[in-house]
Amino acid sequence: MTTALCDLPARELARRVRKGEARAGAILESALARIGAVEGRAPSSEAYLSQSDDRTKVHAFITRTVDRARRQADGIDSRVRKGEDPGPLAGVPLAVKDIFCVRDTLSTAGSRILANFRSPYSATAVERLEAAGAVTIGKVNLDEFAFGSSSESSAFLPPPGNPWDPTRVPGGSSGGSAAAVAAGEAALSLGTDTAGSVRQPAAFCGVVGLKPTYGRVSRYGLIAFASSLDCPSIAARTVGDAALALQVIAGPDRHDATAAAVPVPDYSEQLEAGVAGLRIGLSPDYFRLRYPDPATGELRDQSIEPDIEAAVRRAAETLAAAGAEIIEGVAMPNTRFGIPAYFVISRVEAASNLHRYDGIKYGYRHPGTVAELSELYQRTRGRGFGVQPKLRILMGMYVSAEQYEKGYYRQALRVRTLIRRDFEAAFDPRGAYRLDALLTPTTPTTAFEIGALYGDSVLMQYADLLTVPANHAGVPGLSIPGGLDHRGLPMGVQFLGTDFAEGALLRIGRALEALTADEPWRATRPRVLEGLAA
Amino acid sequence: MMVDYESVIGLETHIQLNTLSKIFCPCKADSWGEPPNSNICPVCTGLPGVLPVLNRAAVEKAARLAAAVGAEAIHEESYFARKNYFYPDLPKGYQISQYDEPLATGGTFDLPLPEGAVRRVRIRKLHLEEDAGKTVQQAGRRWIDFNRCGVPLVEMVTGPDLRSADEAASYLIRLRQLLRWLGISEGDMEKGQLRCDANVSLRPAGTDILNPKTEIKNVNSIENVRQAIQAEIARQRRQMESGGTIEAWTLDWDEETGTLRKMRSKETEADYRYFREPDLLSIYLAPEWRDQVLADLPELPLARRQRFVEAYGLPAYDAEILTEERSLSDYFEQATGALGGEPKAVSNWMMNDVLRLLRERGLYAGQLRLTPADLASIIRMVDKGIITTNTGKDLLAKVEDSGRRPEEIVSEEGLGQVSDEEALRALAEMVLTENPDQVGAYRAGKATLIGWFVGQVMRRSEGKADPQKTREILDQLLST
Amino acid sequence: MESPEEITPEIFVHLVHLAELELDPEESEYLRRQLNGQLRAIREMAAIEVNPSTPITSHGVPYPPEARPSLREDIVISCDNADDILGQAPETDARYIVVPDIPHTDLG
Repeated sequence: MTTALCDLPARELARRVRKGEARAGAILESALARIGAVEGRAPSSEAYLSQSDDRTKVHAFITRTVDRARRQADGIDSRVRKGEDPGPLAGVPLAVKDIFCVRDTLSTAGSRILANFRSPYSATAVERLEAAGAVTIGKVNLDEFAFGSSSESSAFLPPPGNPWDPTRVPGGSSGGSAAAVAAGEAALSLGTDTAGSVRQPAAFCGVVGLKPTYGRVSRYGLIAFASSLDCPSIAARTVGDAALALQVIAGPDRHDATAAAVPVPDYSEQLEAGVAGLRIGLSPDYFRLRYPDPATGELRDQSIEPDIEAAVRRAAETLAAAGAEIIEGVAMPNTRFGIPAYFVISRVEAASNLHRYDGIKYGYRHPGTVAELSELYQRTRGRGFGVQPKLRILMGMYVSAEQYEKGYYRQALRVRTLIRRDFEAAFDPRGAYRLDALLTPTTPTTAFEIGALYGDSVLMQYADLLTVPANHAGVPGLSIPGGLDHRGLPMGVQFLGTDFAEGALLRIGRALEALTADEPWRATRPRVLEGLAA
Repeated sequence: MMVDYESVIGLETHIQLNTLSKIFCPCKADSWGEPPNSNICPVCTGLPGVLPVLNRAAVEKAARLAAAVGAEAIHEESYFARKNYFYPDLPKGYQISQYDEPLATGGTFDLPLPEGAVRRVRIRKLHLEEDAGKTVQQAGRRWIDFNRCGVPLVEMVTGPDLRSADEAASYLIRLRQLLRWLGISEGDMEKGQLRCDANVSLRPAGTDILNPKTEIKNVNSIENVRQAIQAEIARQRRQMESGGTIEAWTLDWDEETGTLRKMRSKETEADYRYFREPDLLSIYLAPEWRDQVLADLPELPLARRQRFVEAYGLPAYDAEILTEERSLSDYFEQATGALGGEPKAVSNWMMNDVLRLLRERGLYAGQLRLTPADLASIIRMVDKGIITTNTGKDLLAKVEDSGRRPEEIVSEEGLGQVSDEEALRALAEMVLTENPDQVGAYRAGKATLIGWFVGQVMRRSEGKADPQKTREILDQLLST
Repeated sequence: MESPEEITPEIFVHLVHLAELELDPEESEYLRRQLNGQLRAIREMAAIEVNPSTPITSHGVPYPPEARPSLREDIVISCDNADDILGQAPETDARYIVVPDIPHTDLG
């Protein structure tokens, strides 16, 4: 049984197109057919009435840019015919998280306040992918303004469903990205990761999620949530695909003053080099959750799901057998302050970043008559924003307003230094551990049911406990599938590395991927694909 | 009993830098007079997802100004901060500015006062920020134009060191002079290139307390600043003399009615929630670069004025005029150097004829085709009697228009002074013959007419007649 | 151990005003409760002893001189679609973006 075009890795698709063995147009049709089979109805910002297919389909795409995609595919096929270079990602179907601006397309951030915003410009990361030959299928759903860990808070409902079990969340905020890739609706997705928003959905949906070093990829065109934490990130089905995509988007940009002027290495060069001699650490601080109970304030100490812990340990054993040195007991003592520090820092930045949505220049403006400007602002923002943005804005106001703030912000920025130092110590070539990578679970649980956590912001946020420290420290993180739990749900294992060490992470991830290629769980497919001709 | 009150005035100025592009995006910085919302891009209109990228020239110009006011510290590392508030002409809902980590702190501005006194004005700090858009109020609505969003501004804040509305106006005039001198801004208040908010309070003379102050905004000319401050001082005096207190209001100056209005500004209530701008790295000034900026600083206007008095023996009045604008003062020095001396003569020529020429043509001295060496040649030729003073004055425009050297023009057009006795006598006789009434009047005792006769001969000779000799000849003819 | 609510209804109302938002009563109560829940975690972080000499970290990664992108050269590049940007505004007139007014108070 041959694999459908839309299920092939991006690397293979591009190879075929460049060699003339497949047309970009045919690949596009394959992806569109898959979408037709598994998507279900498109999410919308109109009043939500649940329907029967809501918990059986994927509902990943807010906007499908079919005509545009056809033009792109035609362009690539034409270049190939003329013997011109169509790019390293020629013909690869791409889903773009709707947090990125794409010129002349609706760029909504999953919010009513931008539901009608047709962007006059494109994000740098999108431009680079398209210049490399990727074909943008559409914009995928997300938590509103990337605020969330389940994609349930979008103004465009129904929210995306996890292709492995559509009654469960795909994770968030890049839930649409991970779901689309897992379901074969796209081969690659450009998402964002601010506290784990690509790695966590990748883990929930059984795909690869790569968060580069902060500043490795330009943020121009990324509708900002937390400016010092946001990273354009990649969801893909294989580690090799993630490497290919990163190669295209990484590097300085004249539009982004925080895009580091660090040379971009060849990420595929060392991909198959294996792990012999590499030092991979395990930290006890990543195997339990410690947080204050939201009702009582008591400190809770909870271990992560046993299946996930077992998956990580199995991964360590596999890598050890292949020649890696596993170092236990790596102390990362400030891990548990990642979430509260994040509550403060990200909210201060988010509240400020959301000031611009005032109905004056673009997006939703309250249509009724108002007596004065203040009323216009309040009605527009009151109606345009969902509950999650409001929550972040109000917290941001509180912890930064001079009359209320109690030094929380300053303290959080210093705690961030402590978190960063944990990583510096772990990766210090002259330190106690001298790690090439830290191996951790990606998430404390597997995908939870839609509606199960929504409403409890503290518990929802703690889903990011194991991913957010990397955002504070700016270091890169890679989540790859590590197995299925007893319910058949995907589990992710995460590798964290030092600044600009994506190459090392990809190499280690690739090694684990290759070593587990024949494991039985690899042959299992997401539920939505059952019954479909492969 | 009347208390003697002293005015306590501090000025907060916003200076638009004359960079080519805006501070955080490559749109044009100067869009004066262009259609609304035509000089915009995603960055300066605060579209979702955009990021600021700092213009190097804005930093250089700001550092130059900081050096010129003798900043105590031009910080090696300074940071931008977000000033958050809601206002229609502020597209991002925050202004990228600097807060507690500014580019420079400390400095002084010495203001010459009448009678040789000097008011030393302290500069608190100097920082970079971006300009907002413009709003026009009309027909119950606000009309917003974003063309000006993102133009680089330097904010310079003085201590409460000025003591009168006149001093405040004088400070602005001197500041504008300095900005033009350094080449960092035209400082034209009418075009919004220099803006001023004035903080005003009163206190009993001789004390050093600081009473609550009011802030006057939206004053768009130096003269209006003077009037607005005068009006506010008068208002506060009335208030205090009648036993009332002064509240820290924000006031708006209505130019047309010449009155102050209290603003109900959301800004006065706003909590700006300042925090470091995460989209920008620190402004890093390498020590070698900073030292170079200081080394490249030109001689400043007041120092040069002083030097002109001391080195050239010029009266203060001359020195003031010649150093009003930098290229004019350079021109003076170069001309005096080319002439090999006679600074007062050069000064006279410049203050009268050269300045007139500049005004007529709307030029700066540095833009003239008439070079300082040309001016020196002309003065030399007059000194030697080769041409008359009148011819010399005409030559200025001729050189400027043609671009040819003065000596060339003199020889080609035969402008040399006519000193030949016979020729002059012939002209003089003609003038006297044609004007018998005046001759009669002169002989009857109106001695001043001799000047008129000389002028007539000058006219006939196209200004070339040697005035001295002409007069002697006329004297002879008229006395016979 | 129940600690007093940090964000009282009065403070909450003020925050909503500062944020230029409008909420219905249900939303308000839900949000206020969530904020106070989050503040418990924040307070725990705030209570830890951090050595006063610990610097703040604005970006996790440091930007040593080699990694800093250079400042932008002062060259004009005009945007090619200013009209598309203007076209996004909900209300325009003669190329201005139009909004209701903010009142002034005249001073006696």
